Amino acid sequence: MNPSFKLILALVISLEITFTNHLGGNLIIIAAALTYLIIKRVAWKKLCRLLLITLIPAAALFMTIGYFSPERDLFFAWVLVSRLYCYVSVGAAVTLTTNKLSLIRSLEQNCHLPSKFAYGFLAALNLIPRIKQNVITIRVAGQMRGVTLHWWSPTLYFKAILSAIAWSDQLAQAMETHGFKEGAPRSAAQVIEVDKRDWLTMLLILLIIQIVIIALP
Amino acid sequence: MHKRTFHLRDIILLALIAIIFGVIYYAAAFVYNGLTVLLTPVGYGPIANDLTMGIWCMAGPLAGFLLRIPGSSFLGEFLGAAVEMFLGDQWGASNLISGAVQGIGTELGFTLTLYKVYNWLTVILTSVTTTIITFAWDWFRNGYSHFAPSMLVIMLVARFLSMLVFSGILVKLIVNLLTRAHVIRS
Repeated sequence: MNPSFKLILALVISLEITFTNHLGGNLIIIAAALTYLIIKRVAWKKLCRLLLITLIPAAALFMTIGYFSPERDLFFAWVLVSRLYCYVSVGAAVTLTTNKLSLIRSLEQNCHLPSKFAYGFLAALNLIPRIKQNVITIRVAGQMRGVTLHWWSPTLYFKAILSAIAWSDQLAQAMETHGFKEGAPRSAAQVIEVDKRDWLTMLLILLIIQIVIIALP
Repeated sequence: MHKRTFHLRDIILLALIAIIFGVIYYAAAFVYNGLTVLLTPVGYGPIANDLTMGIWCMAGPLAGFLLRIPGSSFLGEFLGAAVEMFLGDQWGASNLISGAVQGIGTELGFTLTLYKVYNWLTVILTSVTTTIITFAWDWFRNGYSHFAPSMLVIMLVARFLSMLVFSGILVKLIVNLLTRAHVIRS
């Protein structure tokens, strides 16, 4: 399925379940998302880790609403637990099955995201390893002077942002010297198409979800 | 000050900030989980969310102060949440919606000053708007209507304090360092 469509679908589903309290509907969505993930052969470890870690906020909400709130509404507590699992399974159905490059390409070509945003994000994404290394370097440099930089130290962020500013200048210059021009028409190296099947699948899933959430008792 | 729009350099910078904070947000989930485990047995589990909320809203105000372009605060916060989602944490798809909501909250603080004032007043304003907007969103998302009123008051206060300390004071301290280094036009 087209990456942008997948993202939009996940957003719509998440928004809808936030404003409805439908336990059965939520469970069906979770089952569907998990089935999709299994069909796509997503790594078990990743999936189990996500499902386990969600237990913590889910248990907190469940305990508070089920046992410590004035009404002790257990049904509503279960709705909230299923809602959290909906978010994480639907989110995983997008993030674990889509690569970022094709998602950004699709957003640019299919959703008319201006190319300066698409390529700006891509350029930044490719710097992730350098950002990680840079943070380690800053902390080690601090330790050499006997200064420990914690995650709440303004200095750590200050230095990281100084590097980010330098990199963004250099990258923008490099891209412009290689002929990138804001707002100029571009050809695409890899064309990402939206065909009839994408539209049909999306509309069909949306329709089923409306039935599941609204029409089912 | 004349009106500025986003150029390639600003967008890359914004995305880099989003990545730095996306990683911080991802790590903050561990702080959140620890707090939740501690507080749940006494019935105050959801307060962990309010206590860490300020950390999750840092990218917005920082981007707003750094770039000073209308929309930069929203974009910084939203992209940070998107990065967090792709790193794969426990909130999944709702990260994007939370990110958009938090982004609107932080952006509103700058809008109220008409993008002309960048001092402690702005810090207080963004803290207040972000607290109100994110609390309203969590009202639906986490079913606050079922909570005891006394609990809701504690949560609101906890959230505001967290917002003030992390996305307010800490961000302003970072901005002060950047101003002294002459990378922000003051």
